[in-house]
Amino acid sequence: MYKKRKVNKKIFIVVTIVVIIILLSFSLVLNRKYSKVESFFKDIAITTEKIIMYPFTYIKETKEVNQNESYLIQKNVNSSLEKEIAELKKVLDLNRTLTEYSPINATILSRNKSYWFNTITLDKGKKDGIKENMAVITKDGLLGKISKVSNNSSELKLITSDDINFKVSVAVKTNDKDNYAILNGYDKKKGLIRLESLDKEVEVKVGDTVLTSGLGELFPAGIYIGTVEEITTDKYNLSKILYVKTTQDFNNIHYVTILKEKK
Amino acid sequence: MLSLIIIVIFFLLDGILTNFLGYLPGDLTYFTPLLTLTSLIVIYPLYRKKEKQYFITCFILGLLYDLFYTNLLFFNALLFLLCGLLIKFIYKYIDYSFIKIILITILVISFYEIVTAVIILIFNLVPITISRLFYKISHSLILNVLLSSITYLIIKALPKKYKKININ
Repeated sequence: MYKKRKVNKKIFIVVTIVVIIILLSFSLVLNRKYSKVESFFKDIAITTEKIIMYPFTYIKETKEVNQNESYLIQKNVNSSLEKEIAELKKVLDLNRTLTEYSPINATILSRNKSYWFNTITLDKGKKDGIKENMAVITKDGLLGKISKVSNNSSELKLITSDDINFKVSVAVKTNDKDNYAILNGYDKKKGLIRLESLDKEVEVKVGDTVLTSGLGELFPAGIYIGTVEEITTDKYNLSKILYVKTTQDFNNIHYVTILKEKK
Repeated sequence: MLSLIIIVIFFLLDGILTNFLGYLPGDLTYFTPLLTLTSLIVIYPLYRKKEKQYFITCFILGLLYDLFYTNLLFFNALLFLLCGLLIKFIYKYIDYSFIKIILITILVISFYEIVTAVIILIFNLVPITISRLFYKISHSLILNVLLSSITYLIIKALPKKYKKININ
């Protein structure tokens, strides 16, 4: 009897561990899509959260100004680059520039509490035409991409995220040409965005502009990211590492613009 | 009923505060809230001989936390359950007093952050360093300790009919 109990206890422990591992594996697949059930409950949670947060986020005047401002200013920033983008499109065979996107304004509903993942919940979802991997911008430039979508909400992954699966192809604009690098996270101590894989022979100087390159097939070309603030090399002295200062105040964002590709 | 009120207030406050405080790595304030977890610490003594119910509460609260605040379904549900077990274990050996509630809060929050970091490290999702982990823990303590001790004082001041504390 005692032996049987002991065996049962062991089986219970093993089953519990297996269940925990399965649940964690399911939970921590960061690019998984919401299932229908999860999406349903997420929508209920979002609606409840909207109601709770309403008194705290209700500043209508600011909202109207900011929502229009976000896209318009971004468009102005890029208008001077339109010619250049057109040329680049020809040369690089790009088919993803800002002109092929329509903006959808969204409000930030809540900052997610998962500190390590840097995500934010937006109030627009599938029913507004939002899909995974759409670029998200503000008047100050690129903010991140949509990582998960439910019917009424979506999750925005910030460019400051350290997620090893989230890289952005960028172009550093020097005097003569564009030089390509990869945006790879955020340096917490410096408070600067980190760019890697830039050829060490490339002449870059502090103050050069960094934009999305459009090469990664994820973001349209020409979205402003920031200016070069610091230049170093990697530990093998094979490539340059750039630290970019962005004008984006990641702690104080309320309204964003999602770029939806025109059909 | 009292435990439910505490849970609801702490849960809602958790979300509200997160939206108004710095949350980026490097910009965290010393008042980073983990109030849902803190509520589990302060309500444990109110679950007299209802430990099964307490653990179910931990799991459901974790699930709601995931649904509302993290999008990592089941992650915090499991972690809160684990924290519930730790809280039960600590209360077995420590009596319910002002200083000890502070100690328990520090212990449980540190445990939660360490286990979270270890799991993320095992699944290789985000690079984690000891200094970043320490940074996160140190910035999560003040507000939660403050609120757990205030709640302790409120519970203690309430008439007996509203509470059924059974420690020691």
